[in-house]
Amino acid sequence: MFNSINLQLFLLTLSEECFSNFVMGQLNVAVIIKLEPDFSEGNVSYNPDGTLNRAETKNTLGPHSAIAAHAAFFGRVMYDAKVSIGTMGPPIADLALQQAQQISDAEELHLYSDRLFAGADTLGTAEVLRVGIEKMQEKMDIVFSGHRASDGETGQTGPQTAWKLGFTFLGNVISYSVDLETRMVRAKRLISLQGSPSVIEEVEAPLPVFISIDPTYKSSYNTVSQRLAFQKYQKEATQRADNYKEYFKMFNAKELGVAESIIGLPGSPTIVYKVERVPKSTATRKAEVVNGSDLQQLQKVVGKIKEALEAMVIK
Amino acid sequence: MVEKYRHLYVVVELDAGKLIPVSKEMIGEAKRLMDGFNQKYSSNEKVVAIVLGSNIKDLSKELIEFGADAVIYCDHPQLQEMRNVIYTKVICQIAINKKIGGQIEPQYAQDFKRPRYMFFAADSIGRHLSSTVLAGLNSGLASDINQLVIEDIEMSHQQKTAGKKETYEKTLEMYRPDFSGFLWTTILCLDNRNPAFKRDYHPQACSIIPGVFEPLEQDSKREGQIIEFVPRIDQRDLRVKVLSREIIESEVDFDTPRTIVSFGRGIKDDPEQNIKLIENLAKELNAEIGVTLPMSKKPYSISQMLDSKYMIPDRVIGTSGHKTSAMLYIAAGVSGAMQHVWGMKDSGFVVAINPDEDAPIKDECDVFIKGRMEDVIPLLIEEIKKQIQIVQVR
Repeated sequence: MFNSINLQLFLLTLSEECFSNFVMGQLNVAVIIKLEPDFSEGNVSYNPDGTLNRAETKNTLGPHSAIAAHAAFFGRVMYDAKVSIGTMGPPIADLALQQAQQISDAEELHLYSDRLFAGADTLGTAEVLRVGIEKMQEKMDIVFSGHRASDGETGQTGPQTAWKLGFTFLGNVISYSVDLETRMVRAKRLISLQGSPSVIEEVEAPLPVFISIDPTYKSSYNTVSQRLAFQKYQKEATQRADNYKEYFKMFNAKELGVAESIIGLPGSPTIVYKVERVPKSTATRKAEVVNGSDLQQLQKVVGKIKEALEAMVIK
Repeated sequence: MVEKYRHLYVVVELDAGKLIPVSKEMIGEAKRLMDGFNQKYSSNEKVVAIVLGSNIKDLSKELIEFGADAVIYCDHPQLQEMRNVIYTKVICQIAINKKIGGQIEPQYAQDFKRPRYMFFAADSIGRHLSSTVLAGLNSGLASDINQLVIEDIEMSHQQKTAGKKETYEKTLEMYRPDFSGFLWTTILCLDNRNPAFKRDYHPQACSIIPGVFEPLEQDSKREGQIIEFVPRIDQRDLRVKVLSREIIESEVDFDTPRTIVSFGRGIKDDPEQNIKLIENLAKELNAEIGVTLPMSKKPYSISQMLDSKYMIPDRVIGTSGHKTSAMLYIAAGVSGAMQHVWGMKDSGFVVAINPDEDAPIKDECDVFIKGRMEDVIPLLIEEIKKQIQIVQVR
């Protein structure tokens, strides 16, 4: 039992905390992710012709989605952010949501799943994700996406979702920080253009923003308190992911309230017209075949390598 | 016939106020395509370059010399730095501007609605810019294209035509290699003619892989139209501030022609040890190390140090990475997907190490060493130590 003075003091501290929280403001972040073929050895299967054997290949949270989830977790650790995750996919995509929750300590998992969504290109997908994000519990301050999917590899869904949300888009982000007082985000972006050295650009923008995470993104936790928070939330994430169904919600087209004409196939300007094997180019070189265990032959190869290198020096 | 959609608009990119190579490559390919188009359809549609920036008016002439029939330039201090939101807004304004359409071709001023086709560069800027512009224009985009064809296509499609046979005239076939490099996917952007969901999808747009197409010879005698566009700029679209820009020296250098040792899925039996072998070989030859695209997807569980050093996009040689013209190129455990071959075929002397004589890389090398890298590389290293004094070229 508290005596009354202690209780008052306690309430005072509590309200101060609440007050400062109110002034500083809460940070709400969402991540959009994708269930993708698992390209790791042992899980991936290739056809004899070198193409992906989709039937035999397992699925998992895409590696770029995982990096985006790490970026969201950085917000959780540093700013006590609330994390939500959304994905469009078949019912088994709940696996990816669970994996991303384990990384990000999310407390809201959304799966948008409907036959009507199937066959959508990036524009039709972005529309579903936009509506889904707007249906999340909180109004989002930052939405993260991965750089690109490993199977489709277009990298378009993120920026198109950003555009539909009306959020400022920041691409190729390698690190970020948020000022909760001014509601500004600072981000470093990696820009690589053909024939130019790469540039790291630091930008500042008011929330809300949409951040597409660069593959080289790394979270860094430098102080003891940050590392403690990291451990605390990581533990929480494990507990949550063990019971992910409690946080999980599935929506079909009707429940989301998306307009049928701008999602799925009708909402997709592009179609895959044909898929063909890349024609084998005519041999550009005539290779001399050498037996790899024949030492004498290898000596000759090294002799040729030496010639190539010497030509280089003269140049 | 009413022609609502005309011309090919090419959004070019700059670095420090200069056109980057892919800009000229896109204009060159656009010109080749539209020359064929105009001949085939007895038409007169143009290649229109769009350039945004600050103090960039002089670039218009250069763009014409590289093949543009017309240039729309937008010169504004707020466009000095490439920022996605404002760039997207301005490009969308240009694309749907009827007046500009009329300036390019007065006889179509009444009908013109939007460009027929649009090109962007598939790089750190253009990939995102193309995505947001096409979301803004509500039309279709294919990314990372390396071949383009314009044809009339007769097809029936469950969704697009409600199963009826229809002819889509002047359709841009956009070819993109998939991640494996063995498959080529053709993407089309088509209007919905299905009565249930009738809707136009124009422009047909794509982003183009840098380095794939050849630019035209610069010709100072070439003439063209230069049109200024004055944008409407909303302060709310300028909220991103660029605080600093820092040029970084990449740890990976494929541009200086010298020696590259690259590896692919052939390391799979013992990735950790094989990468170390490759490191040793590279050290003996003072070589840079490259990888194939699948390696950058981190397919193996290996030590963090090797993983973060090698299994990264920055080291990829191929259409989704670098193109090299190394004097000596050693491909160890690389099958030779088109993707990868494009990035290394300009090399001088090429050695492949592979147990499979049917691997396509055999057609792209001068010496094919048949064997597993585990067995071959140690022998090579021994021999190199005997024969070659380290050649320093840097």
